[in-house]
Amino acid sequence: MNSVLLGGFLAVMLSGVPIAIAMCIASLLYIWISGTIPPLTVVHRMVGGIDSFPLLAVPFFILAGNLMNSSGITNRIFNFALALVGWLKGGLGHVNVVASVIFSGMSGTAVADAGGLGTIEIKAMQDHGYPTGFSVGVTAASSTLGPIVPPSLPLVIYGVQANTSIGKLFAGGIIPGVVMALFMMGMVSYYAHTRGYGRDLAFSWPRMSRAFFELGVVAITATVLFFLWKDESLSGWWRFGAPLVAVMIADRVFKFEAFMALLTPVILIGGMASGLFTPTEAAVAAVAWALFLGFAWYHTLNWRMLVKVSMETIETTAIVLFIVASASIFAWVLTTTQVTDQIAHIVLSISDNPLVFLLLANLFLLFIGCFMETIAAITILVPVLVPIALKLGIDPVHFGLVMVLNLMIGLLTPPLGMVLFIMQKIAKISFEETVKAVLPWLWPLLGTLALITYVPQLVLWLPGILYPK
Amino acid sequence: MTGGVQDKSLESPVLDADGHFHAVDQSIDLSGYGWEDWFTLVVFWLLAGDVFYQFFTRYVLQDSAAWTEEIARYLLIVITFVGSSMAVRRNTHVHVEFLYRYLPAPVGRFLSTFVDLIRVAFFGYASWLSIDLVPRMNNLKMTVVDFPMSYVYGFVAFGFVMMTFRAMQVAIRHWRQGYSVLERPEEALA
Repeated sequence: MNSVLLGGFLAVMLSGVPIAIAMCIASLLYIWISGTIPPLTVVHRMVGGIDSFPLLAVPFFILAGNLMNSSGITNRIFNFALALVGWLKGGLGHVNVVASVIFSGMSGTAVADAGGLGTIEIKAMQDHGYPTGFSVGVTAASSTLGPIVPPSLPLVIYGVQANTSIGKLFAGGIIPGVVMALFMMGMVSYYAHTRGYGRDLAFSWPRMSRAFFELGVVAITATVLFFLWKDESLSGWWRFGAPLVAVMIADRVFKFEAFMALLTPVILIGGMASGLFTPTEAAVAAVAWALFLGFAWYHTLNWRMLVKVSMETIETTAIVLFIVASASIFAWVLTTTQVTDQIAHIVLSISDNPLVFLLLANLFLLFIGCFMETIAAITILVPVLVPIALKLGIDPVHFGLVMVLNLMIGLLTPPLGMVLFIMQKIAKISFEETVKAVLPWLWPLLGTLALITYVPQLVLWLPGILYPK
Repeated sequence: MTGGVQDKSLESPVLDADGHFHAVDQSIDLSGYGWEDWFTLVVFWLLAGDVFYQFFTRYVLQDSAAWTEEIARYLLIVITFVGSSMAVRRNTHVHVEFLYRYLPAPVGRFLSTFVDLIRVAFFGYASWLSIDLVPRMNNLKMTVVDFPMSYVYGFVAFGFVMMTFRAMQVAIRHWRQGYSVLERPEEALA
């Protein structure tokens, strides 16, 4: 019976049927054979699986990222990162990582990062004579920052499935994201040193100090906003109106490159950290800010673009949530047939040491990540793995970050690596070349994974401060 | 899943000596959407309006309207199921095609035809199930708003019917052109 379920799913999926449909068909097979459950349950469960308020964050995070990509904000971020670190040896490699960190603070998927910013980055690096392999490797690796640095689509799905605070998960991703970025920049420096890459931009004090000044103003704004938003006794004018006027004046006076764009992560993360916004509201606020920037401030958006971006958002939202819906019927069947219990039993019989479990979970997730789409993997595996983790005293926030990072590594590994496919399309090289180029860049990711797995404080410290019990 | 608007014309160097970059927007093509996509677009902006309104009532009027949250959840369900038809039409539902690189062409042709038929059969069956479910939901009321749940399931059924229809169109197109996206992934839409 259980082999019908899992085998049927694998066979149907490998034949090329969309993953969501493969999960539904496997569930239907079980329901037909068992004969005790009405097939109507499939539709009912699918609808129930996406009937949740936190999931409303999904379309708005996707829309915010798409709006940033199409209103020229991605370009501004790239220029800003260039002024900041372009003068280092291996400059555009560093720019690539820094721009991805900033963009990750506005977008929740690795695919948006790879497809939007990635196109610009690879083109710029090729123009400057970097080997395609190096450009593809660093772009692919840095795109996985998207779902680690908040906001994050996979973490929203994990939070909904595991019944864990999405705010805490987001806060937990900040330090691991920074660690990943530092590891990748270390790797860029290593390549630049051994292969003798030069700078891409002459070092100039005025340009760099301007960029750092801009960054400083962003930091000050973030701090001021945090305290204004935390204080509920203040009036709406002091919490929202006055800061808006102040940043508009500052941007006009100093003619900043990316100041207004850099405020997007500030609004998102600051809004959630100060307890002002729920994740869904933060997503809506980011959309409102992106619309304001595109239509009123930079004048780079028009109605036709908005329609196009909305259609793309609808498509991505439907794809993601259709998988969540189908995975919820599949997960329900897995629970009913006690497949999940059996797996838990096997795992716990090997060891009940949390450290050993984390190691096994990592190996298992890395393996699954090679074959399974991220969102589907989360929806199916949370009911299997999270109860075991909880039993062993592992914090669900910690486990969530470990899980998502594993699946991000899966995006870079064949045969089913979404980011590899995108890179292959952008750089116009063969799949085998792409795989070879990306392979060494798994090291910084695996290093971060090992670190956050066994030093949970890297994940849990920040949520502990922002959300004291 | 992404792309389109961001596709810049990348012939000229994007980075000048000052480190500023230049990219030219492509003209925006709004043809090629199905009629149900325009319906979903309206629902999508209704959802955005609904959540903005909730936001506004909570922070500005200090009194959040209770119906907004429930309506938002249902609108998201409608967007998922009707919007899914766009992904069926464009073949963008996440699928695995790597097996096809190792299969001889005739076997690939046979298997991909089989996949097209399975898709049509599943969506057809799901349409039938959800149409069957609609009248059963007549007596179940929404929590805050006084509407029966059959409204929501009606749109779910509509979504599945559209998916069936689009899957049939795709299957016929694949049959006529003699290959599907599984066999030639490089021809898939951006």
